[in-house]
Amino acid sequence: MLALRLGRGARPAVHLRRLLVVGAAAGTAFLLLATLGHAVDTPGDSAGSALRLAWCLVPLAATAQLAVAVARTDPAARLHDGMTAAGLGPVRLALVTAATTVLICALGSVLGLLAFLRLRGSLGGAPLGPEALLGRAPLPYAAVGVLLASVPAVAAAATAVALRPGRSEPSAPCADDPPRTAGRTPAGLPWGVALTAAGLALEVYAAGHTGPGARLLPLPGGLVTGEAGVLTGWLLSAAGLVLAAPGLVHLIGRVLGAGRSGAVRLLAGRVLQEESRRLGRPLGVLMAAASGGYAGYVVYGPGAFALQGPGGRASFGPLTALGAVLVLFCTVLCVLTAVAESRTARSATTEALRRLGTPAGLLRRAAALRASVLLVVLAAVTGGVAHLAAGPLAS
Amino acid sequence: MVAPPDNDVLWARGLHHAHGQSPALTGVSLGVREGEILAVTGPRGSGKTTLLKCLSGQLVADSGEVWFHSHPVHTLSATSRERLRLDRFGWVGTEPRLVPELTARENAALPLLVRGEGHRAAKQAATEWLERLDVADCAKRRPAALNRAQQQRVAVARALAVAPQVLFADEPTAPLHRADAAQVLRTLVNAARSHAISVILATQEAEAATLADRTLALVDGRRAGAGQAEGPTETEGREECSLSV
Repeated sequence: MLALRLGRGARPAVHLRRLLVVGAAAGTAFLLLATLGHAVDTPGDSAGSALRLAWCLVPLAATAQLAVAVARTDPAARLHDGMTAAGLGPVRLALVTAATTVLICALGSVLGLLAFLRLRGSLGGAPLGPEALLGRAPLPYAAVGVLLASVPAVAAAATAVALRPGRSEPSAPCADDPPRTAGRTPAGLPWGVALTAAGLALEVYAAGHTGPGARLLPLPGGLVTGEAGVLTGWLLSAAGLVLAAPGLVHLIGRVLGAGRSGAVRLLAGRVLQEESRRLGRPLGVLMAAASGGYAGYVVYGPGAFALQGPGGRASFGPLTALGAVLVLFCTVLCVLTAVAESRTARSATTEALRRLGTPAGLLRRAAALRASVLLVVLAAVTGGVAHLAAGPLAS
Repeated sequence: MVAPPDNDVLWARGLHHAHGQSPALTGVSLGVREGEILAVTGPRGSGKTTLLKCLSGQLVADSGEVWFHSHPVHTLSATSRERLRLDRFGWVGTEPRLVPELTARENAALPLLVRGEGHRAAKQAATEWLERLDVADCAKRRPAALNRAQQQRVAVARALAVAPQVLFADEPTAPLHRADAAQVLRTLVNAARSHAISVILATQEAEAATLADRTLALVDGRRAGAGQAEGPTETEGREECSLSV
């Protein structure tokens, strides 16, 4: 109830962010239900259904990530002082935020269900969607319930874990306590680079062994040769991107603020260094998602985006497209939310700078410089890694 | 509009300001001469911070005038007031509010860099002030690695490094222990006297006010002892000020 009451009084920007989570949850629930429809319709093809369900985990993870990112900027988590004064400690506060997430995602799930039923024609009226995709057979209620509950449950669990006391960095402006992470470099960069390099090497190595009988150095079980090897290599390279991103952002900030920099470069670089953890993680996920998108484009070709049903070579149907759009949408929003969070966290410093008489234009120039350098460097890195990683996939 | 007296650096008349529904200032007038240290005393909520913000151009009073060197401040645009703050005023708040990403020296040099001065000159000025305020050994450390008194001194250095004509100090020693507070305040006052900087020092402590040339007491947004209906006229205010030296 408290979560509802707090949710009702929030500002429009907060509502907008929550609405986006509702949209993501609805899309994920729709995909899960479509999987269920396929499974019920074709009981013989259990392997295909399991594969579809497994692919649904990617948008589910992306939705959970978005829910966590939005919960971090939640006013309930930010209005820490007022809540503590009202007797709501950090543990209860994390639970209230998790409850808010449950509410939002449950609303999304229900919307997804309604959309799914409407497209199938189960709510009366003519079916709007292709039957081959959504299925015709009646759905078992228990399965629908479990699938619909999975989205809020996963998102709320992720939120509670991410915001549990001691783990989450305060996003509220608190000038009394300088950030604890000050000056520490994120440690992931060498590991990420090593992982990406190892992944690319594995891909190239495994790609040489995809042909029949082409086994130069067969490993026991043949796990890393052939297509499995290529896929493992690609996944390693993507994981390396995620791991390396905070360190990479830190490095960019360091280079940007190095030397005899003026105020703009100094502020841009140092802030990037300080915010490398907060911004680096979602940026890493976005880079990995972009790399995945590029790989999909290379594998299925530019012609694969036509709306086609399952079967044939083009397995890039509308549901896959929905999933891909959902993942990209969630990862981009996560980055934007992290930017908003970092802006809130820095508002005290910004106010102090303004009090000194720093022109707003200078702060804007610093932010623009930060964003453009980040965009150029990260896009170049992602493009390079994605191109190298997608090469063996296409062969 | 009455032209302000020539010998006042900063001069205000009949300032009224309200935060939403709650009035903060009700008719305050004052004048600050060059190199003078004026203490503004009063309990919490008496309008000290609001007065300082109005005088420094961060807030525009609902009514009343603020003049700086015979130029009106209250009619300036937001951008011009910003420029004025950057070029002519310094501010030390209760919180040090340093930029956490920058080292102490970069923090102190920041206003100069923002002004567009050269990197080397800015760093040099910052280093000099840090030395003068006894925190030169912290120059390369981030604010998180400094204690509160050191942070506050760096904030004072940041305000003084730009060689302001008026320094606004809003309870700069409130969160410090007595020994630290006395030292910070003494260094601030000495630096201001040696560089002929006018200081407007808001404080709750009577001891701090003894360092000042004059004291202006505020109660509930009014000059203490002033009439309820009408703020004091300018001459009355000045006499009162000089009486309370």
